[in-house]
Amino acid sequence: MSAFVEYIPGNSIFHRLNPITKILWTFSVMIVCFLTENPLAVLSVFIVNLVIAATGNIIRQMYPILRGLLVFCTILSLCQVFFIKEGTVVLYALPWFRLGPVTDRGIRLCVLISLRMLSTASTVPILLMTTPMSDIITAMTEKLRLPYKYSLMLTIALKFIPSFIDEMNQVMQAQMSRGYNSDTKNPFRKFLIIIPLAIPLLITSIQKSRLLAISMEVRGFGSGKRSCYKDCSMGNADYIAIIIMASFVLAGIAAALIT
Amino acid sequence: MILAENVCYTYRNGNNVLKNISFEIKKGEFIAIIGSNGSGKTTLLKHFNGLLKPTGGKMLVNGMDTRKTKTSRLAKYVGFLFQNPDHQIFCSTVYDEIAFGLKNISTRREDIRQRVKKAAEKLGLESLLDSNPLTLSKGQRQRVAFASILALETDIIVLDEPTKGQDYIESIKIMDTVRELNEQGKTIIMVTHDMELAALYAKRIIVLRNGTIHLDGRTESVMASPEILASSGLKPPQIYMLSYMFRKYGLFWNVHTVEDMFRQLLAHLEGSKNVSIG
Repeated sequence: MSAFVEYIPGNSIFHRLNPITKILWTFSVMIVCFLTENPLAVLSVFIVNLVIAATGNIIRQMYPILRGLLVFCTILSLCQVFFIKEGTVVLYALPWFRLGPVTDRGIRLCVLISLRMLSTASTVPILLMTTPMSDIITAMTEKLRLPYKYSLMLTIALKFIPSFIDEMNQVMQAQMSRGYNSDTKNPFRKFLIIIPLAIPLLITSIQKSRLLAISMEVRGFGSGKRSCYKDCSMGNADYIAIIIMASFVLAGIAAALIT
Repeated sequence: MILAENVCYTYRNGNNVLKNISFEIKKGEFIAIIGSNGSGKTTLLKHFNGLLKPTGGKMLVNGMDTRKTKTSRLAKYVGFLFQNPDHQIFCSTVYDEIAFGLKNISTRREDIRQRVKKAAEKLGLESLLDSNPLTLSKGQRQRVAFASILALETDIIVLDEPTKGQDYIESIKIMDTVRELNEQGKTIIMVTHDMELAALYAKRIIVLRNGTIHLDGRTESVMASPEILASSGLKPPQIYMLSYMFRKYGLFWNVHTVEDMFRQLLAHLEGSKNVSIG
């Protein structure tokens, strides 16, 4: 039911990497993409992302996300392209009136921005789809020394989203069964019709979080020092991956300094 | 009144929950749908007012194809009580909560007042009309939710585990109200896990197993087949079990209540050994 990014079990190389390595990967993709001005370099980063997704067997789940990003990129480019005046004009939006000039540099820049966005934004869903949330949290608390309560807060918040959507559907169905009609075009009415949905949702969520807090407390949450049963040590593959990423980042920095 | 023709339903995740379900429900019937968890009871129930549309076959309610009719329109004909009252309660008074559905189907103001009062009386909520539903007990909230469905005065009433979380007395009260509605000519369809209640109140029972109809018949005949029920993970009430065991020895046919069983047993003992009790 949930339309949210969820962990998809698998056993690919990327699945088996340490969460920290994967988090480092998202950062290095970001650094590389913003260091280089060459669209082809960014495109190759994006292709590598797709290859990772393909080996992790999550390409099908990535498809709606990529489609959404593409739509967003198109809108962004359309907003941008007419305002770049540098370079030679290659075409006009309205050729008969010579209105809306589009330059070659404008196109290049928009392609670059779009590719940057696709490459950097696609890493996060890949990370979340190949890593169980609990592993990310363990790694963050154990390796990055993040306080456990904060990382737990993050997990619970993310875990709540799918159940929130389910709950919303339940509320929606309950009100529809009482003749409640949710489709209206009028924005004022739209605001009003939210009330029968929002209040039950709020109340059940508060009930749920109270229950969760109590159930955690009765199992000893917050009683003192914690232990951890998951092993989150780095393997050889992790070190190799980190070396590869580091060399790419360094190469990116070097290339940026030269040009 | 309701006609299901080869209804199939597959959730978007590919989970095939209903497989070729066909039946007819006539006006004034009192039906219990039973089955183990995950057998498709609630999914089937949600088809009766178009909350779910069949992915194969068709479902006709009062002659309307549910695939082409909005749930909010079907609400005039089908009342649906959900398991969890907290999914619907949002008003600051019980009165407003009960009146919500009536406003949705554009009932006249005087009628609203009258119908809210009537529904509240039926469920013993008259004294609570001005209180905030959220401060009430779970049982009371469930009754508020029920009253808000009753007020719609629909011909068909669909109940998803109406007695869940209620104690025995409350359950009986709710079920007696349901029976009264049925006697007034309303069609009742309910899902329940409580075999006692199903046996006591329903006139017809539909047993679901893995999304297919496993048994469909009069309550007495369904409950009198423990072996078939067992293969659906169900067990009839004890009195039916006892009667079934006696029947194997050719004794006591068609006994469905403790009183009947006692009377027959007494007669039998008196006849065979000249023992008198009492």
